[in-house]
Amino acid sequence: MPTDHVEPVLLTDAVVAVDNLSVAFPSRSGSGEVIRSISFSVKAGQRVGLVGESGSGKSLTARAIMQLIPAPGRISSGEIHVGDDLTLATVSSAKKWRGTSVAMITQDPLSSLNPLVRIGVQICEMLRHHRNVSRADARQRAVELLNAVGIPNPKRTMRQFPSVLSGGMRQRVALAIAISCNPRLLIADEPTTALDVTIQAQVLDLLEKMSEEHNSAVLLISHDLGVVANFCEEILVMYSGKIVESGPTESILDRPLHPYTRALLTSIPSMTEELPDRLSSIAGSPPAGGVDVVGCAFAPRCPLAQQICSEVNPELRQLDDPLQHVACHAAGDATWPAVRSR
Amino acid sequence: MMTPDTAAPLEVEGLKVYFRVRRAFGAARSIKAVDDVSFELKSGETLGIAGESGSGKSSVARALVQLTRPTGGTVSLAGAVVTHLKGQRLKRFRRRMQMVYQDPYDSLDPRMSVSEAIGEALAVRGLPKAEHAAEVVRLLERVKLPATVAQRYPNQLSGGQRQRVSVARALAVKPEIIICDEAVAALDVSIRAQVLNLLKDIQHDTGVGYLFISHDLSTLRFMADHVAIMYVGRIVEHGTSEEVFSNPQHPYTRALIAAVPSVTSRGQRRLKLTGEPPDPGDPPSGCPFHPRCPEAVETCRTERPELVTIGEGQKVACHVVQWGRQRTPEAEETT
Repeated sequence: MPTDHVEPVLLTDAVVAVDNLSVAFPSRSGSGEVIRSISFSVKAGQRVGLVGESGSGKSLTARAIMQLIPAPGRISSGEIHVGDDLTLATVSSAKKWRGTSVAMITQDPLSSLNPLVRIGVQICEMLRHHRNVSRADARQRAVELLNAVGIPNPKRTMRQFPSVLSGGMRQRVALAIAISCNPRLLIADEPTTALDVTIQAQVLDLLEKMSEEHNSAVLLISHDLGVVANFCEEILVMYSGKIVESGPTESILDRPLHPYTRALLTSIPSMTEELPDRLSSIAGSPPAGGVDVVGCAFAPRCPLAQQICSEVNPELRQLDDPLQHVACHAAGDATWPAVRSR
Repeated sequence: MMTPDTAAPLEVEGLKVYFRVRRAFGAARSIKAVDDVSFELKSGETLGIAGESGSGKSSVARALVQLTRPTGGTVSLAGAVVTHLKGQRLKRFRRRMQMVYQDPYDSLDPRMSVSEAIGEALAVRGLPKAEHAAEVVRLLERVKLPATVAQRYPNQLSGGQRQRVSVARALAVKPEIIICDEAVAALDVSIRAQVLNLLKDIQHDTGVGYLFISHDLSTLRFMADHVAIMYVGRIVEHGTSEEVFSNPQHPYTRALIAAVPSVTSRGQRRLKLTGEPPDPGDPPSGCPFHPRCPEAVETCRTERPELVTIGEGQKVACHVVQWGRQRTPEAEETT
């Protein structure tokens, strides 16, 4: 959202408020910023989708919220507030809210599971640490959780090590651990990317059920617009470290304002409509992270780019729809030429 | 040599891949990863194989290139059975069938530059070393990469570029068939569209056949001429892309298609499959899909349905569908 729009920190029902966040990695040339001044908030129980290509900074946004930016990266400016009481998220306060108020499942479940510890122990550890339950109760609950995430034969899985499980099964275990303490906010970073569609549907259903039952918010990070469109009420589109479009799912899908959002929508082969011989694709690839961009980062790939696009950085602004925001010079400009100038 | 008119360069007949596993305190048992799978792939065409993990689709791929020895059945390429090749003849056969994997790190050595990686394949083809550099550039051009990429290492490339290099490397030996095992699954949508377009162009120009393994049905709908849906080691539905996607018959196929989260179908209440995919080591009796099937009847629990041709060329392994056909063949025909 634009900086003058709202003070996200004042949103009392928010479970996470990100204010002007920038994340930088040391760089010989330029600022090394890979996330460039983004602001957004997620309200309690809300399901927000963060969409973008790899390298757009969507996973790093999640890691920034969790205070898990890998060194030597760091939050170069901005603030993040998490949990019911919107504590300032810092590395030192993280022990209090991480895992209980805010939980995360990552792209690669192997990064969150200890390869040397049996699955059952890893789930019980979480429950015993945060919930102070007896060993027997923890085991009972762990079996229920594994069952809930669709693991066949949970009792056997409890005794197994992560390495013997398939990628899909590992992701389910990671999800079981993440939801074990009913977090206020669950950050799901590409949670279903490795899963089959029928299982993906189940996992998304499970996430939906959980978020409704416990009024937990979900920040779903995905490259798959289809998943996000079906799961989220609100969508944030990221490109090269910036939010280029945000708004309610309906508005974004029906009236995408940013050329990048439009291109994303048309590059997915439809399941129902007549298929073209060739898919419309976006030429080129996204800019390398950390390189300082003058003007709009999408300009080199944009079918509408004009002179101004490579000179002036478009601010995220509101057009007709008060809830939809877009960072594009061309959006809403009826006089804008239909072809790129250079 | 490859003749574009050959009716079916790749024929798979009753392919079986069983794995013997022994549990700590149990008797050895066999997992039927692939059980009696038959299909054919004509040159210049794409056969899509879809299914959940554990359905055996990757095992089919590995058995085709003889990375896993099939337990039974035959694989023949342009009429010659290749199932029990050894030594030099196996090597020569593998040149004709290449694989592109989901993760290019599986096929690219991180310590080899792109030109070395492709050069290795060119050496297999028997191209004199002096001609390698020019051929590498030609292949890179073929996959729409600049010649400068040749000197880079896999970690200096983006995911899309790496996958293009994998394709270039597969093309280096001039294969008749390329097996794409989830080849675009790891790519971003905009890059995926580029690679899919590229694969189609290459097929158009060279007549290569693709066996396209993917869990992504929308990708298959775009790429494949024919589609086979696998469930626990068997093909449950097989037909042209048009037949399978517009008129899916097997309840599993219908559920799979319904489960695809699509931008256009949002908000619709979808047919959702309950239950877990079965353990391939201990599949349910009868039709392996019956515990998850909304239409299962008593026979489904006891008798395994055969893959039977219905209508034009669409094949379905489902008792309920087959009975329905017998009763009202006319009515079904018109839908």
